[in-house]
Amino acid sequence: MSRPVFAAVCFALLAAGVSPAQDERIAFFEKKIRPALEEHCLACHSAKLAEPMGGLRLDSREAVLRGGANGPALVAGKPEQSLIVKALGYKEPTLKMPPTGKLPDRVIEDFRYWIARGASDPRAGEPRERAAQPSGPGTPIEEGRSWWAFQPLREYAAPQTRRLGWSRRKIDAFVLAKLEENGLQPSPEVDRRTLIRRVSFDLTGLKPTYEEVELFAADESPDAYAKLIERLLASPRYGERWGRHWLDVARWAEDHPTRESTNQPHPYAWRYRDWVIEAFNADIPYDRFIRMQFAADLMPGFEPDQMRALGYIGNAPMYHKDPRLSRDVIETIAGDDWDERVDAVSRGLLGLTVACARCHDHKFDPITNKDYHALAGVFASLWLVKRPIVAMDPQAADKLVWDHERLVRRSGELGNLKELDTIAEEVHPKIAQLRQETEKLKERLRADDTPMTHAVIDCGVWIDGNTPTVTWMDLRPGEARDLPVFIRGNVANPGEIVPRRFLTVLSKGEPEPFRNGSGRLELADKIVGEAAPLTARVWVNRVWGWHFGGHLARTPSDFGTQGQAPTHPRLLDDLAARFVDNGWSLKWLHREIMLSAAYRQAGRWNEAAFKADPTNRLLWRVTPRRLDIESWRDAILQTSGELDLTMGGPSTDIEQETAARRTVYTKISRAAAHPILELYDFPDAKQHTPQRQATTTPLQQLFLLNSRWMRKQAASLAAKADGAPGIVEKTRALYRRTLNRDPSPEEIDLAARFVELTRGESERDGWTELAQVLLGTNEFIFLN
Amino acid sequence: MRPERKSPAAPLGGGLSRRAFVESLCGGLGALSLADALQTPVAAANALGPTGPHFAPKAKHVVFLFMTGGPSQVDLLDPKPALLQYEGRRPDSADLRTERMTGGLLPSPFAFKARGQSGIEVSELLPRTAEIVDDLCVIRSMFTFNPTHTPARNLIHSGNIASTRPTLGSWVSYGLGSENRNLPGFVALCDSPNRKSLWRSGFLPAEHQGAHFNHTETDPKKMIRYLTNDELGPQAQREQLDLLKTFNSRHLAATGPDAFLESRIAAMETAYRMQFEAMDAFDVRKEPQKIREEYGDTPFGNGCLLARRLVERGVRYVHLFSGPGQPWDDHKDINENLIKRCPAMDRGAAALVRDLKRNGLLDETLVVWGGEFGRTPVSEAGDGRDHNPYGFTMWLAGGGMKSGVCHGATDEFGFQAVENRVDVHDLHATILHLLGLDHERLTYRYAGRDFRLTDVHGRVLKELMV
Repeated sequence: MSRPVFAAVCFALLAAGVSPAQDERIAFFEKKIRPALEEHCLACHSAKLAEPMGGLRLDSREAVLRGGANGPALVAGKPEQSLIVKALGYKEPTLKMPPTGKLPDRVIEDFRYWIARGASDPRAGEPRERAAQPSGPGTPIEEGRSWWAFQPLREYAAPQTRRLGWSRRKIDAFVLAKLEENGLQPSPEVDRRTLIRRVSFDLTGLKPTYEEVELFAADESPDAYAKLIERLLASPRYGERWGRHWLDVARWAEDHPTRESTNQPHPYAWRYRDWVIEAFNADIPYDRFIRMQFAADLMPGFEPDQMRALGYIGNAPMYHKDPRLSRDVIETIAGDDWDERVDAVSRGLLGLTVACARCHDHKFDPITNKDYHALAGVFASLWLVKRPIVAMDPQAADKLVWDHERLVRRSGELGNLKELDTIAEEVHPKIAQLRQETEKLKERLRADDTPMTHAVIDCGVWIDGNTPTVTWMDLRPGEARDLPVFIRGNVANPGEIVPRRFLTVLSKGEPEPFRNGSGRLELADKIVGEAAPLTARVWVNRVWGWHFGGHLARTPSDFGTQGQAPTHPRLLDDLAARFVDNGWSLKWLHREIMLSAAYRQAGRWNEAAFKADPTNRLLWRVTPRRLDIESWRDAILQTSGELDLTMGGPSTDIEQETAARRTVYTKISRAAAHPILELYDFPDAKQHTPQRQATTTPLQQLFLLNSRWMRKQAASLAAKADGAPGIVEKTRALYRRTLNRDPSPEEIDLAARFVELTRGESERDGWTELAQVLLGTNEFIFLN
Repeated sequence: MRPERKSPAAPLGGGLSRRAFVESLCGGLGALSLADALQTPVAAANALGPTGPHFAPKAKHVVFLFMTGGPSQVDLLDPKPALLQYEGRRPDSADLRTERMTGGLLPSPFAFKARGQSGIEVSELLPRTAEIVDDLCVIRSMFTFNPTHTPARNLIHSGNIASTRPTLGSWVSYGLGSENRNLPGFVALCDSPNRKSLWRSGFLPAEHQGAHFNHTETDPKKMIRYLTNDELGPQAQREQLDLLKTFNSRHLAATGPDAFLESRIAAMETAYRMQFEAMDAFDVRKEPQKIREEYGDTPFGNGCLLARRLVERGVRYVHLFSGPGQPWDDHKDINENLIKRCPAMDRGAAALVRDLKRNGLLDETLVVWGGEFGRTPVSEAGDGRDHNPYGFTMWLAGGGMKSGVCHGATDEFGFQAVENRVDVHDLHATILHLLGLDHERLTYRYAGRDFRLTDVHGRVLKELMV
């Protein structure tokens, strides 16, 4: 089954919209010409190359007619005058195509016939051509550098607005100016009770208590709100909330998509989660936060427990590398691992879809196939290992790391080999050797109680396919591996070797090769150095999205030409510039956003504004939203009084009915289903997820109505009101605990009647049922 | 009596559409994302809605009977007399890299006979499949490249060995939506939720993820989590919901119109009704005894019967896993195992095809049978067979496929597909085509580029279509 593997996905896709059956000539093109072009020509003559050979592209009708250095590729109706026919004919000494050899006469005849009949070609106006943007397809890197997201950051003067007195922070001028431009006005300021609930959930993922709400509502001092924000920012609950946001970006989990011998679950993955929470609480500057996650161990002033930061890559998903598979298959699987890192880092931190350039140059953004392999080489030069988080003699530490690693590898290999009942001779001695080695290692490690964490270590990764029946991973600590360009993504077809280095378009001039180990520290330095403007924009945009429920640029992981441009470009630039100026401090950024008038708007619906801007891109209000699973579950536990605020340590299983710790401490698995988390749109950690969804489904409601866990929380909540003397007092107590307010007289009446009715009809006292209703209200699950 | 096929709008007694109950079990239909509800711009909205069909479909539904573990082609559907002739020997063609060490050629002890009008040879292990062989299109030349379960399963479910891409069922749901807004487009029937990644929607919107049910339970209460309340009776719960509805309506009035708040109120009501309505649709026990016997009262037989009940009610794609675990992974004692295992599968699969045909549903329902790979013609451990991705058999029935046809061939021993080779992408392209979807046009823009189920591959097997 020969098929042109290289026919770039996008190419075939974009050919959509044609209806071959309508036109016999187009049918001929589809049947004969397109496949031939794809198989023999497009590898060198298409827009997927930054510079098509001879300036000639054959991937669209226009391109064919426009031709290349030698003029138009064909003259419709006149095969003999068409360059393409001449080239295929192999008679012109300087014009023989394809260079790999003359095509069968039959194929050349097809081209003649096609051109003679007018060269019908449906590939007109394909999106690739329309997408000609500043850094569109085929444009040189230099042009790509002019893309807005790559420009240096600068502050902008606050724009003039007609309305005066609304703005509180610089952000507001940008927001207001845009609203005014569109004939809209901001919403009035939200009431204080709603505001404190919004701010509490936003910063800590928990709701305020009734007393806190009342205190704040009554506090008329001018700095009451600023003080509230400071109090919440200083709470350890803050790191648990915002650390979790980061864990989404970092696609953190405690195991791999599958569980085989070479990709066993990570018992210490929680240590990275704890480090992230601590880092947010300590407001480690974002640039340092990033650098530490690539190379804390290589930075000055390194403390052993900062090793935990390396879990960003240390806990990345890994695919099973079954030693019984062939070298090429294993190389491909290892390549999938590297690809995952390239993707997580480039989309997560840089908002660039570099993984699109694995098989060919990026179709839309100025990222080459070489750029991809230059980055992938960094990940081919490191290995996921356990490392100690306490001070140790370096040699002893090294031995410990490799003993742990050897045990994992050798046990896996042994397990695999033992399965073979008819053993090939060449692996026989290996088994005895492996058995002995694993026993020794087990013994030694059993006696060792050094606390470990999942990290990375510089170590080149090669694949050893020299034994016919078994493929070994060839790990070379201290060495680095520059990858060849795997042509069209095929590992069996390696091309030119590319030194490890940063993306060309984000570098000043030609990027320098990385020199130290894998180059992970250099890579991190580039991300927060030369690429700082992009990195800061991407991060500020994410933070904005978590605060407002909608981003300034609505494709938070794609700042390339296929992403959505920001609605307020100057606002994003200005805020990012000041964020960097303020030492990349996230807490600074929170204050700047939350103290703004824009953030303090009410969430109320407004018909005119809704008609003009239904998705609230212009920020005429703060869009109300559903609590995410963490906030919702934590708030229920908080309300029922069951919440256990113990921080850190190994994860707990959310499926256990007694589980009462904050949801951030739930065990996160890539392999096993988490029905409850999944029910509420928790992201799949198998790969980077740009942002969460918020769905509402009947199954969620079944959970609320019928799950034992929910009933248990309702019972605990009802018991909290046991001390209250009468129906009115009890109802009030439940309302205060659940909804932070007093019930209205009608609500008391409704509650009283309900309790009475339930009592009359069943054995139940009605209060648990009422508590469950209150926990199930939209008022509870909705953040306004 | 089985109810007649109802038109989508046909109401049941209580004014509730027959199909209304399953409204988005697991984020299927009715799973309204907030952004969606707030009237996302046209482009984004299109990304959520069905994109097809691109041309007139032949099939409206698919039932995929997945033989987890990789069934042995040379014992079931691809007779190889040469195995007996060269028993115990190891021809050069055996030197393919499989998962484990293998020995000499292992003949199948099971007799094959030409069956039906078509004369397709079927093993004595599958007497009932033999009876419907004239309705089948048997493909003996399937092949893939990965001999390990997980990647190979990913490949056949999603066209890629990684466990991140959307699965076939979710592409179908994305391409066509559900036939009826009240039903999920894609249902996965599996004994374990841990195969979840085989009905994932990957980067497609979550509503296209397979709604999973454990078909080894026949009691819907046990099949659907949280379906019933073990403490409150329906009346008490109704009162609870009435109060909740009152509170939520008051809240809505105070907040102003909001699609999310409204949809949650509606979802709550659907959830309440679902508790009773799902009891019907998911309850194969409501079938006449004769029908239940035809399918066999086994997990697989009941799964097949449930698949028919669901397809009949408008589900697009049902994926039934043969379980538990990966039963067809016969590394040892293969002959004995097959004798024990085949009858339930044979009975259920044949009954499904026959029953669909009887009800006039086979023309519009494609049934697909097969595993992630086949097994080696050489022995493993003397009496087992190792994984063999290089050549194996699948069959398709109905939905616009030719019937009574046998396509392709493996080599003389059954190692590799050699004639009219068909790979996973071709299979996918063909299934999509039958549903009216052009596999090159069914795309989704994600992470900067357009993705397809078939990536850059796939050939529609037009020669096998009616």
